[in-house]
Amino acid sequence: MNSDDTRDVDGDVGVDDERLLAALRGVWEQYDPPPAGLTDRMIAAVAVDDVSRDLALLELQTDAERAAVRSDRERLTLQFSDETTSVLLHVSVTESGLRRVDGWSDPAVLAARLAQDEDEKEWTAELGEQGRFAFAGVSPGLARVRLSVQHPDGPRGFVTPQFQV
Amino acid sequence: MGMDDGIAVRPDPGDAGDGADGAAPAETSEGTARFRRAASLFVRWRDGDTLAMDDLVRLMTPVLWHVVRAYDLPRALAEDVVQTTWLALVRKHETIKEPAAVSGWLTVTARREAWRTVKAARRADPTEDEHLEPRLPAQRSAEHEADEADTARILWDAVHQLSERCRRLLRVIAFDDRPDYGRIARDTGMPVGSIGPTRGRCLAKLRAVLHQMGFTPEEVA
Repeated sequence: MNSDDTRDVDGDVGVDDERLLAALRGVWEQYDPPPAGLTDRMIAAVAVDDVSRDLALLELQTDAERAAVRSDRERLTLQFSDETTSVLLHVSVTESGLRRVDGWSDPAVLAARLAQDEDEKEWTAELGEQGRFAFAGVSPGLARVRLSVQHPDGPRGFVTPQFQV
Repeated sequence: MGMDDGIAVRPDPGDAGDGADGAAPAETSEGTARFRRAASLFVRWRDGDTLAMDDLVRLMTPVLWHVVRAYDLPRALAEDVVQTTWLALVRKHETIKEPAAVSGWLTVTARREAWRTVKAARRADPTEDEHLEPRLPAQRSAEHEADEADTARILWDAVHQLSERCRRLLRVIAFDDRPDYGRIARDTGMPVGSIGPTRGRCLAKLRAVLHQMGFTPEEVA
């Protein structure tokens, strides 16, 4: 290591720059660490954004399908699941004629995105407490939801079949 | 082309290609190892291994956190900036000319977004103080016999007596994955001082502050 840049203001040879920077790195890691769960939230955000990624397909539950047929035009409830994950979606019509999609997932959702028209139109979910999420101002049409949920071994991504909003 | 973030320690992402290939083979620093691993994961992801991206996010998210927090953004905003950076990578990866330099692309993108966000936040609320992170009180041992926790506090306190610009620069550099200046200097025959003059000035100030506090850099590093 060159020592030219390690002389301090008095001209003494000081602690090597790299050693001082490493010590600073340790200080910031100790006093301002990333928030808990940051990495998992970032993995989830990337997974739902990357449309080239194949996600596990959730199945529409038939009971819910029958319920959907019975439900009135103003409100629709759909349930999707596989062995590990369950997602409930309520679609409602707003005064402006657009749709609002309220969701709930178990395990809790980390990131979710609703897409229409071959991903031409997208809405990012606002996340609430306890696995809740919502898409506001969605236009009517065929849609699917990509979401990533918190499994014990890390985020896991899913996609729903297309459904009518 | 200058960086629009108040400090300039790295060229544009497009030509941040130093280090991964054509570099000296015997580099073992943590930053360089991460630089290479990031490159390898990114290439695997581009070649169709979708899960390599998860490992890349695991590897680089803590680094991006520290780079973004160097700009004194509140933690929630800093998280938004880190997320914006990752989504930019997914959407713009085709524009990255040098896949080996993906970690440099990420840190530069994060710094630009952090700088943009800082400027927007100050426009929205100009009275907001720039020192948004909590300061911890210095705990000076009269005998200067500091244990490990004390030395970290001394260094934390010292770095917060530096200018905002120096503090930001040192934090970005401390977490940047650029191969170290010393090796670049040896490889290129340039004096180290001409590669990182601002870094050198800021480290000199830090040493001076430590002296004023009654410590030597050897005691805290």
